[in-house]
Amino acid sequence: MSLAPLRVENVTLTFGGIRALDDVSFTVAPGTVHALIGPNGAGKSSCFNVISGVYRATSGRVLFGDTELTRLRAHKLAKIGVGRAFQNTALSTRSTVLDNVMLGRHVLTRGGFLTDGLRLTAREERRHLARAAEICAFLGIGDVLHVPVAALPYGAAKRVDIARALAVEPTLLLLDEPAAGMNAAETAEMAATIGDLRAALGISVLLVEHDMSLVMGIADRVTVLDFGKRIADGSPAEVRSDPDVIRAYLGAEEPA
Amino acid sequence: MSDVVAEKAAPPKIPSPARETGRGRWVRRLAWVALLLVLAALPLYLEAAWLKAGQYVMIGGVGAIGLTMLVGQAGQLSLAHAFFLLVGATGYTVLSGPADDERVFGLGLDPGLALVGAVLTAALLGLAFAPVAGRLRGIYLGVASLSLVFLGLYLGQSAEALTGGTSTGRTPAAFELFGFPFSNGGPEIELLGVPFRQAERTWYLFLVLTAVAFLLARGAVRGRVGRSWRAVRDNEAAATAMGVDVTRAKAGAFAVSSAYAGLAGVMTALWFDILKPDESEYGTYGINVSIAFLAMVIIGGLGSIPGALVGALIVHGLPQALALYSADLGLFGETGGSALTPALISSFVYGAAIVLVVLFEPGGLAAIGRRITSRGLSRKPPEEDPS
Amino acid sequence: MNTFLQLVVNGLGKGAVFALLALGFVVIFKATEVVNFAHGSLVLFGGYLVVVTRESLGWVGASLVGILSAALLALAVERLLLARARSADANSLALLTIGLDVIITEEVVRRLGVTLPFLGEAWDAQPIQIGGITLFRTHLVALAVSAVLITAFFLAFRYSDWGVAMRAQAENREAAALMGIRSSRVTATAWLVAGALAGVAVLFIATQDFSGAGLSRGTHSIALAAFPAAILGGLDSTAGAVVGGLVVGLAEALSAQYISFDFSKSAVFLVMLVVLALRPSGLFGTRESTRV
Repeated sequence: MSLAPLRVENVTLTFGGIRALDDVSFTVAPGTVHALIGPNGAGKSSCFNVISGVYRATSGRVLFGDTELTRLRAHKLAKIGVGRAFQNTALSTRSTVLDNVMLGRHVLTRGGFLTDGLRLTAREERRHLARAAEICAFLGIGDVLHVPVAALPYGAAKRVDIARALAVEPTLLLLDEPAAGMNAAETAEMAATIGDLRAALGISVLLVEHDMSLVMGIADRVTVLDFGKRIADGSPAEVRSDPDVIRAYLGAEEPA
Repeated sequence: MSDVVAEKAAPPKIPSPARETGRGRWVRRLAWVALLLVLAALPLYLEAAWLKAGQYVMIGGVGAIGLTMLVGQAGQLSLAHAFFLLVGATGYTVLSGPADDERVFGLGLDPGLALVGAVLTAALLGLAFAPVAGRLRGIYLGVASLSLVFLGLYLGQSAEALTGGTSTGRTPAAFELFGFPFSNGGPEIELLGVPFRQAERTWYLFLVLTAVAFLLARGAVRGRVGRSWRAVRDNEAAATAMGVDVTRAKAGAFAVSSAYAGLAGVMTALWFDILKPDESEYGTYGINVSIAFLAMVIIGGLGSIPGALVGALIVHGLPQALALYSADLGLFGETGGSALTPALISSFVYGAAIVLVVLFEPGGLAAIGRRITSRGLSRKPPEEDPS
Repeated sequence: MNTFLQLVVNGLGKGAVFALLALGFVVIFKATEVVNFAHGSLVLFGGYLVVVTRESLGWVGASLVGILSAALLALAVERLLLARARSADANSLALLTIGLDVIITEEVVRRLGVTLPFLGEAWDAQPIQIGGITLFRTHLVALAVSAVLITAFFLAFRYSDWGVAMRAQAENREAAALMGIRSSRVTATAWLVAGALAGVAVLFIATQDFSGAGLSRGTHSIALAAFPAAILGGLDSTAGAVVGGLVVGLAEALSAQYISFDFSKSAVFLVMLVVLALRPSGLFGTRESTRV
């Protein structure tokens, strides 16, 4: 399996007169954990949404290997190996864990109303169910496969969301604030899980994060945004000592 | 690449992905088979009038299954169901109608083919409405879909060459399959001393149609299509990120639901043995019918396929049963405008049932049923969504 | 030209009545986010009470009773049912009102039986001739009454404590609650006002001039046109409701004359579809309603 780099090239995004992103560029090297950080309102989420196709960049482009993501319709991303987890765990809460994770297999499977209705896909379905169960087990939610998501604690739901993104069999995983709303212990566990993921799967991970402890512990490279501009890009150690970064964060909050 | 995790991560203990324990599944399957056997044996014991009532319930069942997929699974509120019933009924009558009639237009197709054609026509019209539906949400969609019922009312009145007009209507061709008529004609059949005539034959036809409709829906809802519908219902952004084309999924749900309504429409025309468009927005294909179908799926539990059947049993079965009992027991003797009729009592019952379901059990009868069976049969959690 | 002018005035007269209904509809939606599918049955209920009390109280007294009872029924629906189902989301509650609508409508229609009484005896069937065109008195009175009521409503909405509280609540329910606004009182008042407007509307709808038919199931069908009116104006816009009502009234009157009477009911809905295709939240609407 060959991994492709994700290149964000000179992306600018304006809403009305406001520049949410101003000429932002960075590259997620294959097989690395890359963090995108910045104070509140720095444009992290906007950047994330441009990459995942929710927003359309005003100018600039995003390339995944040779594919220009900025030209694709948002639902095409999964097909080329981009998995996405959400900040607010956008799950079907009434459905079971397995049912949610199986949604991730959508692009890897075929079947319409008649083929599903006639159960022509049953054998394939079983194979994918087993794989989905395997992914759940890997994320430590293997014993709640048939539990509706609504009955799970928040931390577990967060894992279901990541399991669903992994069920796409991505080569690039986009994580939107994986530690949002978690306490210190849960955050540490999440950091370990992300580390495991990369080690086990060898995929690239781009994560937007607020929690600096998580970022500094697991990221190979960090890009810092402030007021829609890239103000730093480098290893965690470099970024931590960058005077611009310190200034930006002092205005908002202390880097941990 | 699908086994990357398996190779590198410590082999995890995977609980069986089976949905329920083996025993529970078998008990459940046996129960369905037993039900089917009982239904298949009923013509031996029931009078034609009761068979006719049962057929009416099956019409409701087919339509409600279609609607519950659209409203409950895909989250698209539709009040247009009655319109697609009209499309199915008209489609069948036109396609199978004699080609040499001076008053009305017909293509003279084989009735079996006409049935398929009518269902496809309804599906295509559902698809045609999808671009409008795709832009609207919730109540906006509900009221927008209501316009189709009004459009159907107008077209039914004005396109007399197709529908026969409101005053006389037109008779649909009797259904037949490979030359075997589902009417009183053809070969004389008798089983255990019971002659199998139109009522008995139509019973089996409807039973097969309902069973097929049910099995297809259940399979689809449990499979990939159903998952994409639920994803669209619950979170469009997440559905998109997982590769679901939201517009297509919604359009698909509309087409499928309309096809089911179309089939229910064909059955309606056969059941009444006449296609007669309505004179006002209340009638065989009016708002009241859209609401009755909505009542079935709410009472049965939004999104539940077996629930839709139970909802149909209540909403379509009650007026029929009351009418038959009243004949037996001499109820409803009073006539005139203010009389309590079976249809009226049924309306009260399902109106009240909707209110009670929303207030006390939003999951409908399906949720109650799941609670009971999960206690008795398996350890399946009670609130599971796909059915 | 004269025909056209006549149609426009009559269309506006009908539209003013639809505006009253649509306004009530929107007020309920703004206060509770519930779409009240039982609006048509409020209309029937108010009308029925007029019929019942007319003999003993006279038309004026009976009309007041009708308006009041439609308002009280709406209040009862809100207090006794919806307020107790707070756990259910707004869309489920909308479905609940469908159930209610079935019950109330069927019962009123049953009680009416074969009598289809006309209700607008103060203005019905007394056409006025002005400069060669015939105008229906019902439509003129409807226009005037609606103008007064709608103006009063907007003044109250803008300046009264209720109006301020109502707007605050529609903007942000939690913040309004924190500011000490009693949500239950605002909501109850909204239903009361909507019911009263429905009670007024029926006095114009069940007339020779408006529908040619007395109080019946048909009255309920006519009231249904308030849905497209409210939707095309934008469900959360009070001004939109008024504009939507007038558009619906005009569309119906003009299409009945120039296309066909049968088509006029569909025309109203087609106009709505066109508007929604261009603006999915209606002409003045600002937010889309959520999924079911």
